[in-house]
Amino acid sequence: MKNIIEVSNLIKKYDSNFQLGKIDIEIPSGCIIGLIGENGAGKTTFIKSLLNIISIGNAKIKIFGKDINKYESEIKEEIGVVLDNMFFPEILTTADVNTIMKEAYKKWDEDLFYKYLEDFSIPKNQKIKILSKGMRKKLEIATALSHKPKLLILDEPTSGLDPVVRNEILDIFMNFIQDEEHSIILSTHITSDLEHIADKIIFIDNGKIVFDKYRDELLDNYGILKCDLDKFENIQKEDIVRYKKNKYNYEILVENKTKMIKKYKDYIIDKITIDELMVLIIKGEEI
Amino acid sequence: MLALIKKDLLLMKNNLKLIGIMLIIFFFMAMQGTYDLAFLPVMICIMIFMSTFSYDEYNKWDAYAITMPNGRKNIVKSKYIATLILVGISIIITLVLNITIGYINKNLDLEQIISIMSGYLLAIIIIESILYPIIFKFGIEKGRIGLFIAVFGIVSIISGLSKVLNVETPINFINFIEKYWFIIIPIIAIIFLIISYKISERIYLKKEF
Repeated sequence: MKNIIEVSNLIKKYDSNFQLGKIDIEIPSGCIIGLIGENGAGKTTFIKSLLNIISIGNAKIKIFGKDINKYESEIKEEIGVVLDNMFFPEILTTADVNTIMKEAYKKWDEDLFYKYLEDFSIPKNQKIKILSKGMRKKLEIATALSHKPKLLILDEPTSGLDPVVRNEILDIFMNFIQDEEHSIILSTHITSDLEHIADKIIFIDNGKIVFDKYRDELLDNYGILKCDLDKFENIQKEDIVRYKKNKYNYEILVENKTKMIKKYKDYIIDKITIDELMVLIIKGEEI
Repeated sequence: MLALIKKDLLLMKNNLKLIGIMLIIFFFMAMQGTYDLAFLPVMICIMIFMSTFSYDEYNKWDAYAITMPNGRKNIVKSKYIATLILVGISIIITLVLNITIGYINKNLDLEQIISIMSGYLLAIIIIESILYPIIFKFGIEKGRIGLFIAVFGIVSIISGLSKVLNVETPINFINFIEKYWFIIIPIIAIIFLIISYKISERIYLKKEF
């Protein structure tokens, strides 16, 4: 499988003591990549550095196998983006978006754009500021798709939306990814979305990549062992990845679930959700 | 880049009503001889241009524009080009209005109108040349303060200098300017624009959003 994105040596420091990186990562093409992490963990910073919205210093970033410093506009022809609260000035109309984008992208497809608007029931000539939040997001997605990009980069495309709209949007992504050449990178803190659609999950915490794994591998590998307070001592220390003490029990994150189920027959080891995994890794304690 | 210029022109279109009303009011004031229409383009251009920056900033357009294939340099360039288009249009409108009024009031002095307008044209270009790098660097809010600094700064520096140095502008100099204004004004305007553009470009290439 080819890599759609290769990042090496990405370090980004901010005055506020926040630091992203050092990040070295290769992202395979043809799949949906979920970028998860707390607010302020560095997801948006990572996305912004892919798109040259912030400077990347000495880092080397390749998209479609090409260096973004050298082939920026060529690469960007093939990328569709939805950013968090960054879009056209809202006094422009949906028709204005078409007028402008027609000139911006060589492959902009006017008919396709209006077809999306129709599918999403967005008025064809309406000021953006009048649209509801969900409509606005859908307009952003329609805009991102209408120049037929190969890669979608989406920062929080579903946040603040109701479940119905969220599902609609996820369906659009699933449709997009049917083409083998297409890839999606999507950051979110609504991890339940990813459990349905993501092939691979990259977890960023405090500016660092904690893991970068296939979803199935992740959910099969990790498990959550729950035990009473007095039985905690019976668990071997090397089996505890993280633990969290609750009022009546312990929640213990274990790796290698099948092995653990055999080893600790008297305990309950549950399937883990990405949410639980995230919380345990961020908030749980290590031994 | 055409996309970006179009975007600014579409943004300006939103001010058309306001400008229309303003034009009508000023037109009648000028008819009565209580207002000098020549100042109009300066006001219109600065007002409209500040507003396009505000709209951009409010919806964080810049970051979005950077994700498009046009590149950062063209974002800066398009702002300057859209400005010049706007300045051109407003100068033409004002000229037409002035000529109409002169014609109606039967005191048309075309040469005087054109020379006054060129003075204002130069003023707009100098003010915007100073303003744009400030806005690109510090954002529109500080740009508004920059506008005051630009306008009052220029006026007070010139009047201050002439007081301190106690120079009475030599007649020769005025004659020289009167004779060659049609060459001098474009040259000064172009120099200001180029310097301003180069500074803005350097600022914008490094800017993070």
